Amino acid sequence: MDPLRQLVLNQHILVRLPSDNLKIVELKPNGVISLGKFGACHVNDIIGYPLGTTFEIWYEGDETEVVRGSTVVIGKVRVLENRAEAQVGSEGATPQPAELTQVESSKTNMELLDLGHKVQKLDHKEIERMKQDVTAGDSIISMMIQSHETFHKKTIHSQEKYLKRKKQKFAKFFTAEYLGSSGLLRYLIEKGDMQRIMDLSEESLGMALNLANIRSNGTYLCMDETGGLIVYAMLERMFGGHEAQHGGTIVVVHENEHPNLDLLKFSNYSEEFIGKHVKTVSLLQYFEPPTVEEVEASFTPLDDAQLREMKSNKKGAYYRRLKRYNSDLEVIRLASQITYDALIVASTLQLSTLVPRLAGKVHGSRPIVCYSQFRETLLELSHTLYDSLHFLAPTLLETRCRPYQTVRGKLHPLMTMRGGGGYLLWCHKVIPADNGAGKIDCDNAAAPACPAAQPDEAP
Amino acid sequence: MSYFTEYKDLIAEGDLVLVWISRGNVKQLRIKSGEVFNTRYGSFAHDDIVGRPYGSQIGVRTKGSNRFGFIHVLQPTPELWTLSLPHRTQIVYTPDSSYIMQRLGCSPQSRVIEAGTGSGSFSHAFARTVGQLFSYEFHHMRYEQALAEFQEHGLIADGNVTITHRDVCQKGFLIKAGDTTSYEFLEGQDSVSVNADCIFLDLPAPWEAIPHLDAVIAKDRTARLCCFSPCIEQVDKTLEALELHGWEEIETVEIQGRQYESRRQMVRQLDDALERLRDVKRRKQHGTERRKRLGEQLGSVEELTDDVRPKTPKTSYNPFGKGSRVKEGDNGFEWKQVAKVESEIKSHTSYLTFASKILFKSRDENTVSQLLEQYKDFNPNVKAASKLDKRPQETSFEESQASNSV
Repeated sequence: MDPLRQLVLNQHILVRLPSDNLKIVELKPNGVISLGKFGACHVNDIIGYPLGTTFEIWYEGDETEVVRGSTVVIGKVRVLENRAEAQVGSEGATPQPAELTQVESSKTNMELLDLGHKVQKLDHKEIERMKQDVTAGDSIISMMIQSHETFHKKTIHSQEKYLKRKKQKFAKFFTAEYLGSSGLLRYLIEKGDMQRIMDLSEESLGMALNLANIRSNGTYLCMDETGGLIVYAMLERMFGGHEAQHGGTIVVVHENEHPNLDLLKFSNYSEEFIGKHVKTVSLLQYFEPPTVEEVEASFTPLDDAQLREMKSNKKGAYYRRLKRYNSDLEVIRLASQITYDALIVASTLQLSTLVPRLAGKVHGSRPIVCYSQFRETLLELSHTLYDSLHFLAPTLLETRCRPYQTVRGKLHPLMTMRGGGGYLLWCHKVIPADNGAGKIDCDNAAAPACPAAQPDEAP
Repeated sequence: MSYFTEYKDLIAEGDLVLVWISRGNVKQLRIKSGEVFNTRYGSFAHDDIVGRPYGSQIGVRTKGSNRFGFIHVLQPTPELWTLSLPHRTQIVYTPDSSYIMQRLGCSPQSRVIEAGTGSGSFSHAFARTVGQLFSYEFHHMRYEQALAEFQEHGLIADGNVTITHRDVCQKGFLIKAGDTTSYEFLEGQDSVSVNADCIFLDLPAPWEAIPHLDAVIAKDRTARLCCFSPCIEQVDKTLEALELHGWEEIETVEIQGRQYESRRQMVRQLDDALERLRDVKRRKQHGTERRKRLGEQLGSVEELTDDVRPKTPKTSYNPFGKGSRVKEGDNGFEWKQVAKVESEIKSHTSYLTFASKILFKSRDENTVSQLLEQYKDFNPNVKAASKLDKRPQETSFEESQASNSV
């Protein structure tokens, strides 16, 4: 089984609840997935099905096993054919849900009076009791429709809406999805962790990866203040969740003593694989690396013969120092001996001073992409980059996704959506000419031929 | 070797490069020694370009006016290519293509269907990222052009791009020996296993192609689809076909990309404006007093004294550089950095309709039971505790969400 295709053990997945809320679950052997009021089931029962399958939790009534520390009863699962429960209609009209075929509906809502909860004959206590009886969610909903005094006065469209709302509350099903970068981002957005991920939207993330030309076998320089979300997404474009054999390295420069790539713990990669392809250096190490002489002077690796003679009680200390020695040499290599294939920056440091310095080791013709929650910081950066001949055509971009209510005959943009999503700055590293024309006076006659230093012409 | 999928250091003879002349003017060029590239900013000998690192600025001093002109020589990327390519059809721009790739979860593990190829803009972006791309084009001449272009760019030789001449709405997506395709069949092989998990349909009638997809999508995993249609009527018909053929998670969205110009606006203070008016008034005062004096003299019997028109000096107080041509950003003035949306925007490209489908929602009971047998004695709760309480195994849902009111 393949963790990119099927639900496998020891994998993190995204669980989508009837309410469309999201939850990250680790599939531990013999473990339990507990979804609170939406029920619970055994991990082993869903292993092996394709990622993206929707399962219904159902109870025969004789279940007694409960989730540790709660009263949620663990049920059985069966595959649900269609999450939206859309039955195939004859002439393709939006199919009518089974629950509504038994009840009447009204052409208009002219007769419908807003009486609030008075129309529902079942009271709160009765409904709570039905929930305790762990019958399937569907039967609760049917009962509620039967006990609803003015249900037949609603239009069919509003009946559907009512049903959907109630299903989100009482239905017991979930969809087990692959935890890709987009899914992880949706999860963080829904959790309200917008500050942590700098208000990044899925469309801005995707565009940053494309503009930075991220792909397998590249060596990329990155600053990521989103807890590793951007690195997670870069790894997806480079390896696709597979511990592939091909190369590709991300060098993550971090502002604090230790990097924060917390979100990588949800990925399918082993720690060893991540260690090989994601290197971390602090800003200080990156800009002021030790010299080779300093490193060599402080430590000399021993050869095999010398090692054999070493007393075993000293070996521990030796290997610690050897490790330190090797990591120092690695820092020197990352900071001064590599030219990078792209620079991606998502940092709240002052960009106009940070980016030109980080870009020093970016190869000519390679893209530089900066993400910011605010347009102003990128605007300032773009002016700084315009003044340098090392950056070609800094461009300030914004991309926004507008979701639609996707129902046939009722297509329209959603009435509310999430605002924000951030901005991007995109440019390319270039190498100024030095052949006697090194000093280029852009204010003078050559101005039209000086695209790097001109305000944008309309493209 | 592809000019798109390998990072190159130096520009070599025979390379395909992109020449950045100015914004909105990016040209493709094949480097050939002895040839010259002409622009309105000067003529550039290919020999002066060969051997330099990619990204180099190449400068010339024009003979006539002795002006300095230059170009930048870049290595092609799919996004730069989109800015320079010859349009055979309307193309998919980066805000749309990047969102589609992100949402379809494109990676080196993806197997992608693209129909139709069109101008090949999106094909290049797919080819960079995905494991296999199967592109279909029904227009014969466009097929030939795209095939030649993909070959020239090294995409076919890289082995992950196949282009096929086909009307997918009529004939579906299966590729067989004898079809007009770039696919190279092995001895004895008579068809290609497409097994696509990402599908992009940029067709006038995607609903006619949707019924053919079941034959070529992956069977054991989720297949994701995106239909790209400019009209809402097309979306409606697409939704009908998707529902009819068992596609789920259907959602239509629209992407709006905006580009901003970075500009500067002069900071002009109220006090300076007042001071300037006071200055004008003061100088006006000189004239008023003189006229008053002359008026008084007119009324008197005295002869007019020699009146010398007083020389009011041209004002030295000009805080905003009025009357002179001030360049935006001039160091003699104070500026505020501002951004403005470009003057012409792409207000609508297309509606993107996403959907997904799993052909076989089943599992191999044998494999699963063998696997679970290995973990027979594994206690998930003990493990969770020892793992520094990383995440509790049985995460109960948040209190607030657990208590529901009717």
